[in-house]
Formats: sequence, structure tokens, C-alpha cells
Amino acid sequence: MFSPILGVLAAIVVLLLIAMVIGEMPGKTLDGIYRFTLANASRLATIFSMAIPLFLAGLAVAMAFQANVFNIGVEGQYFIGGLVGAVAGIYLRLPAYLHLPVVVLASMTGGALWAAIPALLKVRMGIHEVISTIMFNNIAAALVNFLVNGPLSGRGEKSLEPQTLKIQPTALFGKLNHWFNALGLKVPRHIYLDYSLIVAIVMGFLVWFLLYRMRQGFEIRAVGTSLEVSQYAGIRVKRVQLTAFLASGALAGLVGLQEIFAIRGVYTFEIAAGLGFDGIAIALIGGNSPIGVIFSSVLFAFLKQAGYGLQLYTAVPNAIIYVISGLMILFIVVINEVTTRYIRALRRKEAA
Amino acid sequence: MTLLKMDGITKVFPGVRANDRVTFDLAPGEIHALVGENGAGKTTLMKILYGLYRPDSGTVSIRDEAITIKNPRDAIARGIGMVHQHFMLVPPFTVLENIILGRESQTAGVLRLEEPAREIAEIMRRNGLPVDLAARVEDLPVGLQQRVEILKLLYRGAEILVFDEPSAVLTPQEVVELFKTFRMMRDQGKGLIFISHKLDEVLEIADRITVIRRGQVVRTLASREATKPLIAELMVGKPVFLHVEKAPASPGKVVLEARQLRQRSERGNLVLDGLSLEVRAGEIYGLAGVEGNGQSELVHAITESARLEAGDIFLEGRSISQWDVRTRRDRGIGHIPEDRHRYGLLLPFSLAENLVLGQHHRRPFVRGSVVDSGRVRQYARESIEKFDIRTPNELTPAHALSGGNQQKVIVAREMRFDPILLVAAQPTRGVDVGATEFIYQQLIAARERGKAVLLVSADLDEILSLSDRIGVIFKGKIIREFRQEEATKERVGLCMTGEKQSA
Repeated sequence: MFSPILGVLAAIVVLLLIAMVIGEMPGKTLDGIYRFTLANASRLATIFSMAIPLFLAGLAVAMAFQANVFNIGVEGQYFIGGLVGAVAGIYLRLPAYLHLPVVVLASMTGGALWAAIPALLKVRMGIHEVISTIMFNNIAAALVNFLVNGPLSGRGEKSLEPQTLKIQPTALFGKLNHWFNALGLKVPRHIYLDYSLIVAIVMGFLVWFLLYRMRQGFEIRAVGTSLEVSQYAGIRVKRVQLTAFLASGALAGLVGLQEIFAIRGVYTFEIAAGLGFDGIAIALIGGNSPIGVIFSSVLFAFLKQAGYGLQLYTAVPNAIIYVISGLMILFIVVINEVTTRYIRALRRKEAA
Repeated sequence: MTLLKMDGITKVFPGVRANDRVTFDLAPGEIHALVGENGAGKTTLMKILYGLYRPDSGTVSIRDEAITIKNPRDAIARGIGMVHQHFMLVPPFTVLENIILGRESQTAGVLRLEEPAREIAEIMRRNGLPVDLAARVEDLPVGLQQRVEILKLLYRGAEILVFDEPSAVLTPQEVVELFKTFRMMRDQGKGLIFISHKLDEVLEIADRITVIRRGQVVRTLASREATKPLIAELMVGKPVFLHVEKAPASPGKVVLEARQLRQRSERGNLVLDGLSLEVRAGEIYGLAGVEGNGQSELVHAITESARLEAGDIFLEGRSISQWDVRTRRDRGIGHIPEDRHRYGLLLPFSLAENLVLGQHHRRPFVRGSVVDSGRVRQYARESIEKFDIRTPNELTPAHALSGGNQQKVIVAREMRFDPILLVAAQPTRGVDVGATEFIYQQLIAARERGKAVLLVSADLDEILSLSDRIGVIFKGKIIREFRQEEATKERVGLCMTGEKQSA
């Protein structure tokens, strides 16, 4: 329980030490972080806004992990999923109440389809998904690059970077800021708390319900716990892993929603990369549970913001945040181990 | 002089006093048996002796000198050796390499092999433990692997040897050999601690017997003054009926038929070689044999799937070879697996979840696709009650239960699904006397209800007392069948070695 908190604190101590070596006093470092993360409602809202795609990425990875499938391909799946969603947003003419769900479903379908090939390779031919999904990430990047520059290129749009045509207004994600304002939470207009937040909440609930309330989720967790026991019990292990893999891909397809449908309104080759890999760390720290992933995705968003703060206010480079997130994972794992042992020892003493 | 004295040993784990002022001693030239139910504290005591646990209080002394044992390395240096239930051998290494591993000597970086080989040959001669030093361990039968384990200890100069259920994996003939070795070691003045659930063996070989119950020594007695019912009663705390009472079988129609099964291992050896057998409704068919003669493969072929080279398996006359595990379970094949930790239980999952595993996809446990956890828990509470599973409640994770109770969970699950065929593989392995008695009753009750039971066990006594018919499996086929009344331990035991013309 406490290990994530302790891990974060330990990582911050290391961060301060590194900053001191670079020549920044801990006070100034902390101040830099504070001013960019917790100082006011706007900064806080930014963190939550950034946490939305991170949450979806973490949820996607966790979904697969639960069935003992290592989906390293969330990265490629959201490139493709986002593009499929964008195509549906650009070329379909539908009223908004249909267009919005359609682009969400299209993104999920795209992500799931991109996951389907490594998933089938795994269950049919025993090809390890770590290798195939890494390859598929590269293929996805190349494919998206080609499509955006070629067949789907929105020539005539005034832009410096290759991009598609503009997404129909009926498919664009509006902001929910006024809802928060109505609740008395001041969210400035430039912050994106958009429809993708609703998608994230719905997906988080669905995944939780699937895992802990449905028979298919029971089987997914059983397979993730022991392949041998699952086989013995008659669980169709391959089918379960295939399902979890596809579900993971479908969730991955949603990672780009906010950037594509709320922020940019077009699909471009320049959409943020690396969220799939953040998702692995987020799932890990969140213990692969939908609830844990809420906290770890907010934590990651905090760290990213902290990085910008450091960059702006101190001499500490932004890249330090990668070091810190790595250390954090390491600390959490180590502290988890140490505290379990310590608690065990304490209990023993108590009993005696 | 005492060789070993453990005095007033107390060890407390959260919520349980595993050892409570346990006193145990061992004289040179003595075989001292340690018996007790699972979870009674035998293993804890031995782990303390071997330096895996530190006692909370109490002292250990060797040859009247008080010592502390910090770790197994310490224990070995003090002349304490342990033969574990699961062998600690490197399968692709030769026997010689395995024995010297950890105590290698070298000249200029080159491993010295001749000297140790001579030394080991001498140890083998003195203790009646012949093994081919050049053989690879993975090619040896279990009985010989165990000899390698014993040789390892003797080569390291062990004076105190602990055997944790050494006979569980052996044929009766191999047990005779093992006991010869025990006596030779005893005559050389070594001290042996013998842990076993098999009371006949304990009475045969031990000089003294110490009974532990709930962490405390109930009594230490000379085996001359001990009897089987007395020890069983001391262990359980109440009289135990070891004799299995059952009415004559009234077998019905054939439920399981295996016809001319042939299967090869990955290496190409024939593991099933034209095996045929029939099990009828309302009978217990016992499969006797030395482990590794095709029992596991047969069980696998019936319960999971098999890439059979030839032959077919029928359940009530229908071929099952195209059915996957779920279909087999749905159509009435229950299975108590031989390795409960590996196959039987989802250890981090609750008892309730484990008690419906395998049927979790059927009504009433699910409505549509949604798990009805109220029903699941209600069903679990009934199972816990009916099968006397000792647990705080149905939400306790399976790993928190003792071995005997875990086995009861599996038995409860497989019985309550009401299969038409129950395959029980080593149903009482590592299970204490009380739970064993209960499981026996359950198997017989299943038979009374007209189920077909295929019992696979390495414990010949178990086979003999439960089975209505006994088939002896040897090198992948049934070489002889006995009716219960014509089966004796000697005849079946001899047959297990491949000797067909038993008297």
C-alpha cells in the first residue's frame, strides 16, 4: 500500500540530490516543481488533462498483463487506432450524436485490428508477443507516416507538417470545463478536460466490471495467475489470451482520442509518441488494476509536468524526469519487497 | 552421549505456534522417526535444524555443544544433511558431477574427478548404495536419484541425516533397499531422522518415534512399545479407523474404456504402449505401478488431451479424443490432479473461487456472463461445511490453507460437480492421517453413488485397501489385473517391477 508513496518520495530525494550536483538548491528545485504542478487550479487541471491518455494507455497494458500477455504494442495500436478513428471522423457524414460514438468505436476497432496480428501469431504459432509487438510498433509508425504523406494527406490544408484533412465538426470532442466550473472547480478555458475523460471513465469502469464481476474476467485473471491450473480447469486459455489481447488493443486505440479529436482536429504524424511505453510503467505501478492505474497515471502526468517546471525554472534538464520515473519504478518494487518482509517480521514479534 | 539435542524449541508464525517447546534428541546409531499430521510442525522443526528458520527460543546442541545454525551452509558444516521430498539435483549432470557439486576440488583450474570418484565408490560400498557414476541423473529412475541425494550428503560427511518422506516415490522393493541402507548407516554410528506418513514403515525401521501434534511433542516412545493405532491416535488426538470399511462392489456398465493407447514422449520413447483398461460404474479401479511407467500420461490422455499415436478413449461409449478439457469436464470427467500446487488451485484466489473453478462458467454460478458471487459464496460455504475444510471463511485465499485442507478443497470441488468418472491421482500425497481417512471415505462414497473411480497412487497400501480391481502398469501397459481378494502387497509389488509370473 505504502510502497508507491515511499517510492515517489525516495525518487524525489534522488532528484533533489541530482539537482544539487547540477548546482540547484533543493528549495529552488522544489519550487520549480510546485509552481508547475500544484500552485493553482490551472496547473492541477493540466495534470488531470494529461492523465487521460496515460490512463487509457496504462489500462490497455494492464488488461493484457492480467492475462499474462505482454502487450508492448500499445504504441503502434494507438497510432493505427487513432488514424482509423480520424478517417471515420473525416470522411463520414453523420449527426454528432452518432458521429462521436462511431469515431470512438472506429478507434477501438483500429487498435484491436492492429493487435490482432501479433495476437493470432501468439496463439496460433507460439510467437512471443514481446517481439512481434515491438516490430509492429515500427511498422505502424512507418505505415502512418506513409498514409499521412500519401493517400490520406490533406493537401491544401495550410500546415507545415504532413497531416490529414480536417475532422468533421460533428466528430470533434468538446470540453467539459463548464461542468467542472458548475461544480465550483475553476478550470481555465485552455485546459483540455474533454469528452475523452468520459471515455476514460467508462472504459475504466467496464474493465473493472469485466475483470472482477464477469466470468470472462475471472478466466482472464485465472490465466494470468497460472496457465497450468487454467488448462486443468478447462479454461480455453488461448481464446482467453486472444480476447484479452484484442481488448487491450481496443483500449490502446483510444489513447490518441484527446490529441486528435479535442486538441488538433486533424491526424498528423506528429501526434505524441511514447505513451504506449509510459503505459507499461503505469500498469506496473498501478498493480494492473483499473483503480491502481488511476493513481499511477495521475502520478505520471504530475511527473511530466514537473519536468516542464524544472526545465523552465531551473538548470535541471527536462530529461531528468525519465531518470526519475525509472528510479521510481525500481524503488517501488524494492520498497514493496522490503516492507512486506518488515511487516512479516513485525507480525511475528507481535504474535510472540 | 547424544548426537543431537533440540531443547525447548519454540517458533511462532503469525497466528500459529508452529513449534511450542519442542524437545527432540538423537543418539548416534539411531533411527528416530518424526510423525505428525500436516501442519503439526515437523517441517518447521527440521527447517530450524537446517538453518532455514531461527527459533524464537530454545537451543540446539550437537555432541553436547550448544550451537547456532544460521543457514544451510552452517548446517552442512556441522554434519547435518537433508534429503528433501523434491530432489536438489542437476538433471543433465552425471551422478559424479552432482555429488561433487559444491565441494569440487581442482588442480590449476581443472576439475579433479578421479580422487572423488574413488572416495565415493568407497562410500557406496559401505552403505549399500551402488549407482553408476557416469550416468546422467535425468536418465535414472527416481529410486536411484534418491541414492544420489544420499551420496551427496555422505560425501559431505553428514552425521545427522534427515529424510523427508523418502519412501513416497519408491516401489516396495526400493523401500526394502532404502531401509537396508538406513541400517548400514545406523551401524556406522550415524543418526537418522525419518519423517513419514506411512506408519507401517515407521514401525519397521525406527528405533524411537516422536509424535508431534499442533506444534507440541505429544510423546516420544520406543517403537517396541508402539502400535499403529496408538501412533495414529496420538497424532490425531482421537481414535482413527485406518481400516477402510466398504461393502462389496456392484459394478455396472463400462464408463471409461481405454483401448490400445499408444503414445510417445517428446524424445520418442513409448510412454503408453498398447494400454487398455475398463472402469465400470460403481467400482474403484486402482492403477498400481512405479512412478514414471505411464500413469501421468494416461491421466493426461483421459482428462486433458493427448496426441495419441494409436488407440482411443471412450466415455460411456463415446470417443473423447476430439473433446477439449472443458467439454470433458462438462460431460462428467472429474479430476483430482497429482500435483495440487501446480494444477489444482489458483493459490492467490479465494476458496470460493477455487471451489467453483472448472464449473465457474455454468449456472448457477453465472447469470449470463456475470458472476453471481452470492451464489458462489453460498455454494462455497456448503462445501466447506460438508467437507470439513478448516478455514476462517470462504474468502480466505487458497495459499493460506494447510496442505491437507487444500487437498480437501480439490476433493470437494471435484466431488460436488458430480462427475460420472472421477480420476484421482495421488489423492492423499502429503496429506495427514485425518484428511486421508476423510478422502478415502469420499472416494468410497462416490463409488456407492455409482461413479466410476480411477485411482492412481504410488502408495500401494492405498491401492490395496480402496480398489475393487487393481491394474499394474509397467512400461506403458497394464501387465496384469487383480481382483481385490487375490491382491496382496507382495504379489502386486512384485508385479510392479515387471515380473509377470508372480505366484
